[in-house]
Amino acid sequence: MGKQTTGQPLVAPTCWRWVGERGLRVETGAMTLARYASLLSSNLSDIEDIIPADGSLLLILRRAARVSPEVRAALSAPLDVAQMAVKGKRHEIVVDYGGAAGPDLPALAKRAGMSVAAYIDCHAATEYTVAFLGFQPGFPYLQGLPPTLQATRRASPRQQVAAGSVAIGGPYTGIYPAGGPGGWHVIGRTDAVLFDPERPAPALLIPGDRVRFVPA
Amino acid sequence: MIEVLRAGLCDLVMDLGRPGRRMLGVPAGGAADPAALAVANRLVGNDAAAAGLEIALSGPRLQFPQGGVAALTGARFAARRSSGAPVAWNETLVLAAGEVLTLDRPETGCRCWLALRGGLAVPSVMGSRSTFLPSGFGGHGGRALQAGDVLRCGVPANEMKLLRASPPVDEVEGCLRVVAGPQIGRFDDVGLAAFFGTPYRVDAASDRRGLRLAGTPVSHRRAELPSQGVLPGSVQVPPDGQPIILGWDGPVTGGYPVIAGVITADLPRLAQLKPGEAVRFVTIEVEAARERAAGQWRFKELA
Repeated sequence: MGKQTTGQPLVAPTCWRWVGERGLRVETGAMTLARYASLLSSNLSDIEDIIPADGSLLLILRRAARVSPEVRAALSAPLDVAQMAVKGKRHEIVVDYGGAAGPDLPALAKRAGMSVAAYIDCHAATEYTVAFLGFQPGFPYLQGLPPTLQATRRASPRQQVAAGSVAIGGPYTGIYPAGGPGGWHVIGRTDAVLFDPERPAPALLIPGDRVRFVPA
Repeated sequence: MIEVLRAGLCDLVMDLGRPGRRMLGVPAGGAADPAALAVANRLVGNDAAAAGLEIALSGPRLQFPQGGVAALTGARFAARRSSGAPVAWNETLVLAAGEVLTLDRPETGCRCWLALRGGLAVPSVMGSRSTFLPSGFGGHGGRALQAGDVLRCGVPANEMKLLRASPPVDEVEGCLRVVAGPQIGRFDDVGLAAFFGTPYRVDAASDRRGLRLAGTPVSHRRAELPSQGVLPGSVQVPPDGQPIILGWDGPVTGGYPVIAGVITADLPRLAQLKPGEAVRFVTIEVEAARERAAGQWRFKELA
């Protein structure tokens, strides 16, 4: 034990995998949002961007920057309980479920062994957390989808999914900010504007925010 | 001021991009070779971050009603001026009032950058004047230039000298240097041998979002992979085994295994690959990659 009593704090060494020579992919599991919040609050000058994703973070170093002791320390800093309860904004998003707005809803409900009404009730009864944004600017991956509502992506993507479409993809529910091709099951549509580059806060939802859907 | 008499295939207003917004799903974007745009800006007395034009594969015909001071960097295109004066690359060009600059096709490479004294005065959106074509914002109305468009210039930032620039010497032609990617362990020997041992051709369905490659399929263990953050230069391998190198306007997260990442110093070479060309990959260590930061341009004052 003698070698360990050198006065160094006992912190688990941080591991990452390189993505190019500027990206550090850190496995963060269920602590992704908490670590993300902690890193943001550390204001690391060598870091250009932090991308939260599904169980990992990608830290992007500024050009030619090295992994500084500050970055290493921030990656292994203990997360306190207050940080873990990420204080996101709460949003209510009004959804027109089914019909032309949600063409995949009947098939999805049938597969789940539920009535359409029960599927909607279940989808709207849950509070979701924005895990991360990706795919399109402002596209939220919302976690918390009850397992019975989960469904693997469509075998063939739709050529055109309308802006505002509320959809199911694997363990996530999400909202398409803009029209375009998409492989998720569309169950409804909202008039909420998810992304507007001209707004001071372009993305309506950011990682850590909470979302509830309200049937129109 | 520029009047677009004929648009090129894809002429985009670009500056150095909008880093720091990837958590919103917005890539950094910006000029595919930021150093080349910065040099063009310096040749006309602009700040490095002024907005210019990124021109790919087939160029525009542009008129300068009040004349102007311009510079071209990047791939050399077949080009002419209505005055009959030569179109030099990497050098300050003084254009007479009413002069027309025509850019046709690149002699080699794919993209060039045109800077104008004062910079292109398009509105800044999310901290940048760069066009983000996938979502249609930034630059000139969020789109590529069209015939009839008029672009105005801003106020020049600095004193101007007539300069000539010499680009850094390209160290390794024909291959892209990569750092092993986070999922390299999912690829078997056959897949790795294909990826590192055989050439890949750039597919026509390539753009600033990504370069699609075609060649020996890169086999790998298929398994669900959670979405992870990715960067320009990340090489993803979808189930069909044909690699995709993510580009400047590519998504910020991806769900395919990443076998490798093109190093920052070689992204300018990625910008010059055009459909039909072949690429090979060669590995380099992270530390060595960092030391290969962009080569230095040299500048000389013209008499």
